[in-house]
Amino acid sequence: MARSGEKNLTAPARRTRTWAARLAAAAFWLVVWELAARAIDARIVLVGPLEVLARLGGLAATGEFWASVGLSLARIGAGYLGGAVLGVLLAALSSRARVVRELVAPVVGAMKAVPVASFVILVLLWVSSSYLSVVIALFMALPVVYTNVLEGIEQTDPALLEMADVFGIVGWERVRLVYASQVLPYLRAALALSLGLSWKAGIAAEVIGLPDLTIGEHLYNAKVYLDTPDLFAWTVAIVVVSVVLEALVGRALAAAQARWEARP
Amino acid sequence: MTGGAGAFELRSVSRAYGDVRVLCGASARFGAGRTHVLMGPSGAGKTTVLRLLLGLERPDEGEVDRPAGVRLAATFQEDRLLEGLTATANIRAPHGRLRGAALEAFLARERAALSSVGLPVDARPVRELSGGQRRRVAILRCALADADALFFDEPLKGMDDETVARVMAFLAPLLLGRTAFWVTHDERELAWFPEAVRWDVGGGFLTRR
Repeated sequence: MARSGEKNLTAPARRTRTWAARLAAAAFWLVVWELAARAIDARIVLVGPLEVLARLGGLAATGEFWASVGLSLARIGAGYLGGAVLGVLLAALSSRARVVRELVAPVVGAMKAVPVASFVILVLLWVSSSYLSVVIALFMALPVVYTNVLEGIEQTDPALLEMADVFGIVGWERVRLVYASQVLPYLRAALALSLGLSWKAGIAAEVIGLPDLTIGEHLYNAKVYLDTPDLFAWTVAIVVVSVVLEALVGRALAAAQARWEARP
Repeated sequence: MTGGAGAFELRSVSRAYGDVRVLCGASARFGAGRTHVLMGPSGAGKTTVLRLLLGLERPDEGEVDRPAGVRLAATFQEDRLLEGLTATANIRAPHGRLRGAALEAFLARERAALSSVGLPVDARPVRELSGGQRRRVAILRCALADADALFFDEPLKGMDDETVARVMAFLAPLLLGRTAFWVTHDERELAWFPEAVRWDVGGGFLTRR
């Protein structure tokens, strides 16, 4: 009792101090950025945070901004989900059949090794630019999810599998009860990692493929018109979306796991 | 008659791990519907006998006969629980996916069993339970399984006397008339099974007492 009381007292105080230190550090660099922008005094090279914020506010007031964010998000999200589902399915197959595993290994190795830019240009030859970011996001998520989930399946405690054998827990029940809980931490790590990867690679693909009304198109236009405030504003938007997405997905997964675990 | 009601039997079974010979031509016939208490010092081969009977290991020589279609349940030396699931979900794991009224009925049975061995009924995953609590969950998973033969490998190890009394008051009546194997090196546990067949494991053999 005494211990938990003491912990409750100090924890918020400690957290406030940590956050104060972080905010101070962030504020320091924002001030440096603003001062540097004023010293250079050339908007093409560097714009200060205040101007970026103003531009972002202006953009956020337009319907085009939200439509672009929404469209990019929908396509990249679809690719990410597709990659995650395919990765899990392939990992499950690979853990069952050695042939699948041997066949998939070089493909996944290539997906990891080949630079995104090469992929983008290749995929552009296959599909219309509208679907480019879907495919690229899928290519980013699949190998990460596949590798992690396969590792999780391989690392499943043999003592638990023996237990399942004795009790006759087979088939789907075995997957649901034994494998699911053992693989879950690996899957969660993979989903968190590949979310950021898919998002950034998807935007990069849009910059090359230039599908209409996407974040990538706006970034490209900023480059063409030397519109540095636009470039910065869109970049901030990309980062904000990324952070929000990671927090949302992380929380959703944690909540889903907690719900699953609390079943009577 | 349903399958799995016959006897378990070891015939001239030998089993060695490297240079250590645990069983050397051991034979034993374990009658159905009885509790068989396997006694012996550590390292005598009690767990090996259980693993052979469970079909988790093969003998180097000799034969292990098991009733055809026998349904098994075991409390292993380790708890081997599904860490992320609640106590009730763990105990229900061998029963497939129960739904509706069947689920409610079994949940009621589980809750009654949990409280009679002194365990809380709550939504915590078992990884948050204490070692002694987890052990009792493992015992209940085995005891409540629809099995023809139950295997217990030192299930009461490390439990205090009061908990042992609670657990056995629940468990002993459940085992009456069923085929069960109970491994221990504590003579006092025999008192819970007045009808049991006692086997001494040691020197590579099993001796019926």
